[in-house]
Amino acid sequence: MAGDAGRPVLKVRDLTVEFATEDGVIRAVDSVSFDVLPNETLGLVGESGCGKTVTGLAMLRLIPMPPGRIASGSIELDGRDLVPLPNRDLEDLRGRDISMIFQEPMTALNPVFTIGNQMTDVLCRHRDLTRRQARPVAAELLAKVGIPEPADRLEDYPHQLSGGMRQRVMIAMALSCNPKLLIADEPTTALDVTTQAQVLEQFRVLQAEFRMAVVLVTHDLGVVAETCQRALVMYCGSIVESGTTADLFSRPRHPYTAGLLASIPRLRSERLAELPVIPGRVPDLLNLPAGCRFADRCPRVQERCRAERPVLTGRDSGVACHFPL
Amino acid sequence: MEILQYALRKLLAGLPLIFGVTLVSFALMVYFGPDMTYQLLGKNPTPEQILEVRHQLGYDQPFLQRYLGFLREIVTFNFGESSTGEPVTALLAKTIPVSLILILPGFILGHVVGLLLALAAAYWRGRWPDKLIMAIAVIGMSVSFLIVIIGFQIVLSSSDGLDLFPVRGWNASSLGSYLSYVTVPTLATMFVALGYDTRFYRSVIVEEMTRDHVRTARAFGLPESRILLRNILKNCLIPFITRVMFSIPQVAIGGALLIESYFGIPGIGKATYEAIVTGDQPVLKAVVSLTAILFVLVVILNDVLYRVVDPRVTLK
Repeated sequence: MAGDAGRPVLKVRDLTVEFATEDGVIRAVDSVSFDVLPNETLGLVGESGCGKTVTGLAMLRLIPMPPGRIASGSIELDGRDLVPLPNRDLEDLRGRDISMIFQEPMTALNPVFTIGNQMTDVLCRHRDLTRRQARPVAAELLAKVGIPEPADRLEDYPHQLSGGMRQRVMIAMALSCNPKLLIADEPTTALDVTTQAQVLEQFRVLQAEFRMAVVLVTHDLGVVAETCQRALVMYCGSIVESGTTADLFSRPRHPYTAGLLASIPRLRSERLAELPVIPGRVPDLLNLPAGCRFADRCPRVQERCRAERPVLTGRDSGVACHFPL
Repeated sequence: MEILQYALRKLLAGLPLIFGVTLVSFALMVYFGPDMTYQLLGKNPTPEQILEVRHQLGYDQPFLQRYLGFLREIVTFNFGESSTGEPVTALLAKTIPVSLILILPGFILGHVVGLLLALAAAYWRGRWPDKLIMAIAVIGMSVSFLIVIIGFQIVLSSSDGLDLFPVRGWNASSLGSYLSYVTVPTLATMFVALGYDTRFYRSVIVEEMTRDHVRTARAFGLPESRILLRNILKNCLIPFITRVMFSIPQVAIGGALLIESYFGIPGIGKATYEAIVTGDQPVLKAVVSLTAILFVLVVILNDVLYRVVDPRVTLK
């Protein structure tokens, strides 16, 4: 495993995703580059609208096209670029080499097919199994994600299961073909806190068992602290800081990261008069400032920040700021 | 079994509806409908003659009694004799089958072809096949049914056009002659139905395509065509069933009436039309009550089918 660690499973370089809107072209993801190493969990953090979900969807080329398009860049899975790949090859790869689980377990499953039906669909699509052979495999997968009486659950429709159970079904489906990479887009956001903890724990166990890399897209820094080894902080479509979770949490260098960390509600001994917030709002993607995009909200802003856009200093550990903390 | 019970319960719940519809339509017929007395008596009848005829026709009975008589006719399926002296049941037995074989091909083909075109349009949405299909649909919607019928008659049946089919009339004694008479009405019905149905089906499909579960299916590598024909289509069935079911009464009444009178086909639509014109109450009463029953049955069938296609529908 140590020898593997040098070779990334996924190599994203200068990925730019644009959406055509009525008011003009929006650049939702702006030259983003990162690596995902085998067995690691990489967090992709940021506020709503920062481009983290679009980045996640782009890994599978699931962006609705049109209006979206991958304007430039490459997404290499094990050395193979997915951006120019024909749809047919892409379909072979989705769910087999890269899987994705989504935020809303309520709507992400098809309401009119049974769980078993949907799971065997995926199994038969990518593994050489008949539907009859796929059923016990599906039941086994459900047992693995901690669903009791899995054989009975296969006959259920999604609406008969709770949110947590549905998300487990999604995870089981995602794992069914032993993917190398799993993109998890806010997998626990729609769940209540206790279910969230259970699902995350399950997730960790399964990741070790299936030996896959995970990209965890989330706005929840608590989830990142618990599950990710490394994290990327995104703001307005670009990565503003990257590094190991430990470094990011103990020594944030970008004022935005620091602001995010300060604004987590937590149990403290003394009562704060007010929860610290980052002042101002995310700039309009159609009207981005010339310099640093965080300049208007930044407590450390200086003349240079408004004129010149800072670049990320390093891919694996870096910060895009002229005056880092 | 569960579904059968449900259907029975629905049927019982539909009985008051049948009562209501028959009561209203009967009241309308009695108070606003044509009065046969003067047609039968001609000019200058004596008051005694008028009373006599009204008594024969049952017009002198109280309303409630006449309505109960009407209900008895419905239950026993014996609507008496039409004003031409022919038993109404015999008239129905003669005309309904004609209407059925006249309307069914256009009805089925209209929906099937409409759905196929909608699938094609949705699959290539935003591209030229979609635009072409939608343009044809708008034409089908915009042109009046009468113009379509006359246009098809001129183009396909007249000596000024292709002269392939008879202009009017009906003969279903052999398959060949049936086909030659049924083709033009079928094409006309289809053309009009396609306009509305294709647009409707396409909009339902396209909306369903944006659902999260479709994205999930894509994320797991299911091929686009399979997603469309299976995952999406099954989710569209409820609006589709509603559409098909509620077009049945419409086609059975409006469609049959127009087509049969324009093509001179002796079906139930034409018989109804003639009964309205001549004030033939026994026939009208039969048609009205059968229509009401048809409506109730369609509603019940609709609900039962919902349950069959969507597991989330409960049989309460």
